[in-house]
Amino acid sequence: MGAIYWLSSYPKSGNTWFRAFLQNLQQDGDAPVDINELHTGSIASGRSWLDEVLGFDTADLRHDDIDALRPAVYEWSLQSPDLEYHKIHDAYTFLPSGEPLVSSKATRGAVYFVRNPLDLASSFANHLQCSVDKAIERMASPDMSFVKSERKLNNQVRQKLLSWSDHVLSWVDAPGLNLEILRYEDMLGDSLATFTRAARFLELPHDRPRVEKALHFSRFDRLQEQEKTDGFKEKPANTPSFFRQGKAGGWRNELNEEQIARIIADHGPVMRRFNYLDQSGVPQ
Amino acid sequence: MNYFYNCYNLAIDSEMPLSEMVALPDRPTAIDVRIAQGAVDPDGLDGAEQVGPFLWVSPTALQLHIPDVARFLVSNGNTILYDPAPGIDEDSVRVFMLGSALGALLFQRGYLVLHGNAVQIGDGCIICVGHSGAGKSTLAAAFMQRGYNLLADDVVPIGNDCHAIPGFPRIKLWQDAADKLEIDTTSLSRIRPDMEKFNLPITEKFVPKPLPVKHIYILRSDDEKGFSSTPIKGLQKFPALHANTYRQKFLDSMDLRSDHLKLCGKLAGQTAITRILRPRQGFEIDQLVDHILADLSESV
Repeated sequence: MGAIYWLSSYPKSGNTWFRAFLQNLQQDGDAPVDINELHTGSIASGRSWLDEVLGFDTADLRHDDIDALRPAVYEWSLQSPDLEYHKIHDAYTFLPSGEPLVSSKATRGAVYFVRNPLDLASSFANHLQCSVDKAIERMASPDMSFVKSERKLNNQVRQKLLSWSDHVLSWVDAPGLNLEILRYEDMLGDSLATFTRAARFLELPHDRPRVEKALHFSRFDRLQEQEKTDGFKEKPANTPSFFRQGKAGGWRNELNEEQIARIIADHGPVMRRFNYLDQSGVPQ
Repeated sequence: MNYFYNCYNLAIDSEMPLSEMVALPDRPTAIDVRIAQGAVDPDGLDGAEQVGPFLWVSPTALQLHIPDVARFLVSNGNTILYDPAPGIDEDSVRVFMLGSALGALLFQRGYLVLHGNAVQIGDGCIICVGHSGAGKSTLAAAFMQRGYNLLADDVVPIGNDCHAIPGFPRIKLWQDAADKLEIDTTSLSRIRPDMEKFNLPITEKFVPKPLPVKHIYILRSDDEKGFSSTPIKGLQKFPALHANTYRQKFLDSMDLRSDHLKLCGKLAGQTAITRILRPRQGFEIDQLVDHILADLSESV
């Protein structure tokens, strides 16, 4: 059995909020953890993690060659007796060898965070510092990747996201994957039950007082407040703020009719599967 | 036919041409390092501890596999054996030879090896360190364009006398960095086929002699709008140096940890260390050079 639990999501779907909860849960301290000290485990695409385990520079390798080595890096985690929790934005893809990028051997399971793409659009536009229309276009692109330039170096390696729908399906339908799905809307609307379910799945303490305290310490307004005072080092450059609204249903005020129709046209089947559309196709 | 070079103050006898290094006209009387092609066991190094999926280390040897490129066996601080993968080009083998393999050899020779570059300032040098992607090579090229000379890029060994040892006269530069610095890459060789990353020769701007380390700068990007400097003081200097050591993993089971820590302590005692925060985007590399030079003149 693997040693890694992936905290997996398309960007802006509650992953970082969950990591703040996770670290508060693990530390069980008397004060909230500093959002700039979230050490829940490197992101799967972190170049430093890969270089350290490999013993050579991924900066001297092409993107596809790096991907081919990533399973071996994750499998190296099996050397340590501890469970690890790593954030990942890559879609669940397979290498030419047929092996999953994340390595079935290394993987113990995954929590997949899914969020209504109608709400995601504005948040993703803020994240990428582009227009909402552009964000919607990227969410529909089957070639969407982070760090895909061949001309410069980034402290992360390339991540293939695929379209939003394909990202969701790649993880939730991944063959043989031990999976727990968390809807962002349930994390907000039914926090205690949803976070408790995740903590239990991740083999972490999940007694009520402890989960409640961790939830209290990672409340969205607290994260926002910390970001306002001290900044947030994981925030993309030029973005006004990382922790933006933390709400569900904001799309009703943020999107125009055309944008709503476009997202539904692009992602209808997956939206229906996660109850973001009702049976007659009306957004919820 | 063998080739002879001087690099990191070592006389090198190599079966493979290493065009980035300073070539010697004749075979030197004493050879410090031999680089030869030979069989390197695909199953790893006998009697050594495996410390990574492709890495084995013993007190006297280190074996590293770069899948589909080459296997390297670095021994006793004086030998590098390389075993190229079938069909691989020589440039690709050389990239890893000049990086990890030579870096391992420098550890075996007892140097403190930092991940950064060394720029001559007056009768000494500064070293700029940082993680992969922090912009170290771009900064080195920018210093060079401003008329400064370089001792090394990427791997900087420090000797017992706290002097930085010169490496070889070239910088590895990405196309994007070359564009920013207005360096035309059409006549430059790629570090590997199909990569938009180039060998920039710096022969005219290379210092071939060791220089005392005056100041170490740790490069960090941050979300702030401007630049800032924070001196690292006292006991904090030690972990800062350790964290910016080249391939910390190579130290594992090499029996070198205690020497390494001693040298870290010595360097920390003699050298100022400053953390430089720069904006993550939207800054001119010249501004970073100015900021470091200004900080340096204030700290003298």
